[in-house]
Amino acid sequence: MTDSVVEVEGLWKTFGSVSAVEDLSFSIERGQVYGLLGPNGAGKTTTLRVLMGLERPTRGSTRLFGTTVTPSSPELFRVGALVEQAAFVPHLSGMRNLRLWWEAAGHHMRDADLDGALAIAGLGDAVNRKVKTYSQGMKQRLGFARLLLGQPELLVLDEPTNGLDPGEIREIRELIGRLTSQGATVLLSSHHLSEVEQVCSHALVMNHGRLITSGTVSELVGTTRSIYVEVNDKQRALAVLSGLAVVARVQVQGDGLVMELVDGQRSDVAAAIVSAGLQLETIMPTQRLEDAFLDLLAAGNAAQPQLHGTSPANSIGAN
Amino acid sequence: MMSLIRTEFTKAAVRMRSIIIAVLLVGLPTLIVIAINARGDRPSRHDGNGDGLFRLASQSGLLVPAAVLSVTSGFLLIIIAGTLAGDSVASDSSWGNLRFLLMRPVPRGRLLAAKAFVAATLIWAATILIAAAGLVAGIAMFGVHAVTVPGIGGLGGGFSLTTGDLLVRVVAGTAYVAFGFTALLALGTLFSTLTDTAASAIGATIGVYIVSEILDSISQLGVARYGFPTHYLGAWETMFTQNTYSRDMIAGVVVQLCYLVVFGTAALLWFKRKDIRS
Repeated sequence: MTDSVVEVEGLWKTFGSVSAVEDLSFSIERGQVYGLLGPNGAGKTTTLRVLMGLERPTRGSTRLFGTTVTPSSPELFRVGALVEQAAFVPHLSGMRNLRLWWEAAGHHMRDADLDGALAIAGLGDAVNRKVKTYSQGMKQRLGFARLLLGQPELLVLDEPTNGLDPGEIREIRELIGRLTSQGATVLLSSHHLSEVEQVCSHALVMNHGRLITSGTVSELVGTTRSIYVEVNDKQRALAVLSGLAVVARVQVQGDGLVMELVDGQRSDVAAAIVSAGLQLETIMPTQRLEDAFLDLLAAGNAAQPQLHGTSPANSIGAN
Repeated sequence: MMSLIRTEFTKAAVRMRSIIIAVLLVGLPTLIVIAINARGDRPSRHDGNGDGLFRLASQSGLLVPAAVLSVTSGFLLIIIAGTLAGDSVASDSSWGNLRFLLMRPVPRGRLLAAKAFVAATLIWAATILIAAAGLVAGIAMFGVHAVTVPGIGGLGGGFSLTTGDLLVRVVAGTAYVAFGFTALLALGTLFSTLTDTAASAIGATIGVYIVSEILDSISQLGVARYGFPTHYLGAWETMFTQNTYSRDMIAGVVVQLCYLVVFGTAALLWFKRKDIRS
């Protein structure tokens, strides 16, 4: 029996002659914090809209907790979603908005975790002010309060820090961090790569509606061939590594050495250093997720004609 | 369903617009009563039903609601009803709140039914409020009396209406006027599902009624006019001017129900299948 919380299978969504999503497949297991990465127009929001039953798939299916999603599926009660920016009834207070939203489904307010949600949102007395007086950051925080009222098992967050100032972005990221540390399964769509790198355990890269790759964040970053090492003797290490077949180029940089690998793994480099009697202090990829992301997009764009119409099973890293 | 209706009612009613409409609906009858009192029962050059009701209204405060409804049901109440119906779904769309309601999740059919019910309730409330305000202002100014309606052109056939008759007919007339916006409610709800902009939905709804009134005034269109949503709107006035419950009132109810079934169904089918992109 699968423990998949989200399953997207062969999803297509077209608008007239334009394909927003093409043959997308992925799954998210319970407890994973999954980043949906892609530039603007990659199809991230459309994917989330279909997943939340707001739009119908042209082809394929989406499942939540093993059940196919239809508009207003009961499984959506187990999901807290913030798709695009948080929006409310502007002439009502934050508190009244929370109450109306919760009670619209026929639930009593006493069943909601109002205190917990308000504590996380941290709006204080402002929650009793009309929403039209709120900043975008306050609306986003109230949006988090709303989605947390039902203590959801899955959080679907679409660009949650868009339009926020740096202080607000930090607050929202800390909030997501707190939620994930409490064991929530999260699907986070973003084009802020540092956000995904900081928050997510797994990521999926989309472009032009297609899956480019997916895997753990460290796997995605690890696809780089450029690594950085620190050892107790840089010059000896330079000599040792220059002679290695798996190293194309190596040079001293700061306190360590940077090298380009031909075909080898980081473990080959580590083994050579240790065998030479050197003390290995640090070994890490030189690039961050941002570099890997841009490389993947470039590779995806170059391969686009070949990728068109292929099944996800043929795509790199598809689940 | 009741909790959904309650939440939708709060969103629609608890806003500055509602207060402005309420003030208008209470204030306008007062102005009309002052105008009737100033004018007295002098005959008019064009003595249509509405004008006749105005002349008679000074005989009894119980006739003032009929006079008020006769002058407001053709324009002011259409604008108010069109606003309430056209705004029903599109307001949530324009705020961006609709997607959060549907992700709650609230079933689409139930949400649309609740919104239409709330719009209908507010339309009825607006009609009843303006009639009640006319009644209060009329009684205060003219008192409660029976009314004698003279025959047309001095040919005889005049009749009297007791205070009981007047009260029953005012209630029936108010109900008929309110029900006469059923087609507008169905059209407005449909338009409200078709666009994410409340102003567009409201404009389209009111526009259809204005076009209907224009076309209805062209007699060359013949029986085709009987199907227009505005054709039978004034049928209730014969209760006061000719002492009859016109068959046109029944025809008016049937036409309104037809619009409700056709356009209400269209709204429901469209909304249930619509991609929510707002």
